[in-house]
Amino acid sequence: MAELKISPFRTTKILQAEIDEMLDVVSQAALAYKHGIDHYIRHGWEGTAEEKFEQICAFEERGDELRAKIGMALYTEMLLPDTSGDVLGLLRSLDRLLDDMQHSFVVVRIERPEIPSEFHEGLLECVSQAADTVEQVVVAARCYFRDPRTTRDHIHKIRFFEGETEKTAFRIIEQIFRSEMPLDRKLQLRGHVWLIDRVADRADDAGDALAIYAVKRSV
Amino acid sequence: MGLTFFVFLSSGLFLGWSLGANDAANVFGTAVGSRMLRFSTAAVVCAVFVTLGAVLSGAGTAHGLGQLGSVNAVGGAFTVALAAAVTVYGMTKAGLPVSTTQAIVGGILGWNLFSNTQTDLAVLTRILGTWVACPILGALFALVLYRVTERTIRVAKPHILWLDQWTRIGLLVAGALGAYSLGANNIPNVVGVFVPASPLGDLSVGGVFTLTGQQRLFLLGGLAIAVGAFFSRRVMMTVGKNIVTVGPVGGWVVVMAHSLVLFTFSSQGLQSLVTRLGLPSIPLVPVSSSQAVVGAVCGLALARGIKGARQINWSVLRNIALGWVATPAIAAVVSYLALYVVQNVFEQPVYRVTGL
Repeated sequence: MAELKISPFRTTKILQAEIDEMLDVVSQAALAYKHGIDHYIRHGWEGTAEEKFEQICAFEERGDELRAKIGMALYTEMLLPDTSGDVLGLLRSLDRLLDDMQHSFVVVRIERPEIPSEFHEGLLECVSQAADTVEQVVVAARCYFRDPRTTRDHIHKIRFFEGETEKTAFRIIEQIFRSEMPLDRKLQLRGHVWLIDRVADRADDAGDALAIYAVKRSV
Repeated sequence: MGLTFFVFLSSGLFLGWSLGANDAANVFGTAVGSRMLRFSTAAVVCAVFVTLGAVLSGAGTAHGLGQLGSVNAVGGAFTVALAAAVTVYGMTKAGLPVSTTQAIVGGILGWNLFSNTQTDLAVLTRILGTWVACPILGALFALVLYRVTERTIRVAKPHILWLDQWTRIGLLVAGALGAYSLGANNIPNVVGVFVPASPLGDLSVGGVFTLTGQQRLFLLGGLAIAVGAFFSRRVMMTVGKNIVTVGPVGGWVVVMAHSLVLFTFSSQGLQSLVTRLGLPSIPLVPVSSSQAVVGAVCGLALARGIKGARQINWSVLRNIALGWVATPAIAAVVSYLALYVVQNVFEQPVYRVTGL
């Protein structure tokens, strides 16, 4: 049965809730990604890593759903005629972040790489920094929706964390190739480090786009 | 007499139609051009409120314009309105800035010259003063509204979706006020010259309320403007896209400032309030809706500081100043020549000799 449209602002309320949920999903996915990889590095692929992997898959699926629903509502209800393109662009960037975090985790799940203990600390740091970059994107995006002037206060943090992630990633890769491991394992580990770094790179791209969207949202 | 009057009134109704088709864009152009409102919604709201404004509040500005010259023969009224319409059409075709208000004033001046009626220079000066004040006041209103709106948004921090909703409502309300004020302020341009020669008397509507003869005339003029509003889609899209670069909230500021300017120069209530407060009286005369909008856009740009001021196309302001002189001068000449033709070729009386 079709729902009755009781409030003239019903669509707005629903849409706002969906946008907030999308941001929550990305934020939670970043936490799940960090804890999942963290757990894998420390304890291998046991219950917790699998649980976090399933969570990320669920977040990614929900992100796809929300992005499609929000995009459809914006167009059919003719909402945000001047900024709908930017909002959809931002949602696309957030969705890509979910994809990249899931992809990075999927590759770990399939390959189950053996990580020597001397790289644990660096890898944990790298994952944590990548997750922080994503977190800052979410904070900046929340500002964009409510107070675009303050968005840039968070953009520079995104850039900072992305830079730190990259530095850490290079440092680990350097260590990996200086180690005595066989070349195939070196290449395998390098691939995983690249995937972690790609999450931060994608977050940085989202931050760049957000900076422009925020400027466009002046009165 | 009845049918003849309506034939003569046709020039005024045509002027009303063209005013509706052009000036409705000043009221709802931003909202429709930026897709914040549908054209059909804008046209209906504009038609309803423009008619209400003309009937309920058109008397003040009609009196103000009537002081300049009381065209006392229906043939003269027809010719003056036609001269104004031809001037507006010709200048628009030539790509020159034009205002119906200035054209009708020029037309009346032409009639005054033709009929040897003395023009009250004090009234003329007052009208010219309001033309200059109109864009300046539009800029001031926009400046203040921008500052208040910007501060409110910064403090309230509404979600982008709620800001969108409130802007839509704001554009609808500002548009309704603008349409009401447009009807009240510009109705004398359309049928004002027919008032002294109108044979229409009071009409009781079902014993509920009574429409005076002037209100009946204004109702016809208001309906002509209302019909014109339904033909304004293309102009709305053009105006809207030109102004939309300021964003929907900026667009609301412009429309609201424009509406307030028209309201200021047409509200008898505001005039009496200002007088009671011991302030200088506001003259109730028709002003140019387009110039109020241009003034408001400039005010909005200035509110953004030097960066905004640099974006102002100052030649637009020069053209407005040119229009203050050129439009009434051209309309006066056209009116004078047309009155001569109507009187001597078509042998229609264009004025009645009074005071003998």
